[in-house]
Amino acid sequence: MSQAVVDAVREKFPDAVTGAGSHKGDEWVVVRRERLVEVIAFLRNGEPDMKLLRQIAGVDLLTYQSEMTGGGALASIEVPEYAMQKKPQVEPRYYVSYNLYSITTKKAVRVRVELRSDDVKVPTITSLYKTADWWERYVYDMFGVEFEGHPNLRRIMLYPEFVGHPLRKDYPVRKRQPLVPELDFPDLVRGPGPGPGGAGVPMSQTHVGRKNVDPNTYD
Amino acid sequence: MSKLTVVNFPEGNVPESQRLGGEEQNVPVLLSRLDESIGWFEKGLSGALGWARKNSIFQYPFVTACCGMEYMSAMAGRYDIARFGAEFPRFSPRQADLLMIVGTINVKQSPVLRRVYDQMCEPKWVMAFGVCASSGGFYDNYATVQGADRVIPVDVYVPGCPPRPEQVLDGLKILQDKIQSQRHRLATTEKARDVK
Repeated sequence: MSQAVVDAVREKFPDAVTGAGSHKGDEWVVVRRERLVEVIAFLRNGEPDMKLLRQIAGVDLLTYQSEMTGGGALASIEVPEYAMQKKPQVEPRYYVSYNLYSITTKKAVRVRVELRSDDVKVPTITSLYKTADWWERYVYDMFGVEFEGHPNLRRIMLYPEFVGHPLRKDYPVRKRQPLVPELDFPDLVRGPGPGPGGAGVPMSQTHVGRKNVDPNTYD
Repeated sequence: MSKLTVVNFPEGNVPESQRLGGEEQNVPVLLSRLDESIGWFEKGLSGALGWARKNSIFQYPFVTACCGMEYMSAMAGRYDIARFGAEFPRFSPRQADLLMIVGTINVKQSPVLRRVYDQMCEPKWVMAFGVCASSGGFYDNYATVQGADRVIPVDVYVPGCPPRPEQVLDGLKILQDKIQSQRHRLATTEKARDVK
């Protein structure tokens, strides 16, 4: 539906675009990181007139292969397969996806930047969109992507004491970082307290039915 | 209506090591007929105070999530929690007897919940309203406290996602039975419950 926009971007920045695609009417264009601000500035101020930044999303592809082959490892209560394997390296590991929309022409397009895991940095687009301020803070909070030049790059949802980035696929699913000391409370289902993370008791040992889990490979 | 069993923890859910007074507090010692008569008087006073307290529960609804809808339903005219003496929601914890944790408690909120609990005057009770407040519910993730009892002691758990108002009223009646069976003393002799 927005193929014309993608074509316009390819035509104007032939050296910046490294790929493009379409799925059920949703077009995306993959852009090199160095040219990202230029491309988005063209999409906003140029002919596509995309004045609305709907979302900036982060993607972590670390478990992409294992999820495809293993059938939903994340939904299972068993240890995900990727936790047993020592972190399969997928490069580029991260995507940052900018979801743009034009109110005048009713077209949408996604601009994607691909990042290698040893250099998780993107230039900020807060100079173009005010909305990008909080979206970039969100992606930083959840995925640890650094937006260079952002005026106020802090966590937006989690507390400052939080260590790590929870939507990264190598963040342990049941790792807890409590803010107040948790009470020791005996519980038939959840097992003896204190809560996971409180005194170094892994959640896998506190849950009935998860006792076969080896804590060394997990929490 | 079926008879429900009430499980009593004498000092709430506070762990043994953190209770005030330790074990010797719970050992009954009768030295003389004077003590016995005082004990008889205290028992009557406790029953009277318990009856008064269980029928005038002022709630503080700590509403954080969708269970709030069911709380409103239980509070409003159709189910009318006031029929059981829980007439007023007090939106200040200092005026409340019952802290209703209505909804998910996430880690960022847990210091707030703890402070609200600390601000309430003795005697105070806590109801975990819904599965999220009881056990974390299906939010088995980095952001959610796995049950409000990890942060503050809880007296009554009302399961459900969200619970129906009847369940809330049931939980309230269980709490009333619990309050009646607890030992009450006059405020001058009341020891503050310490969970620090």
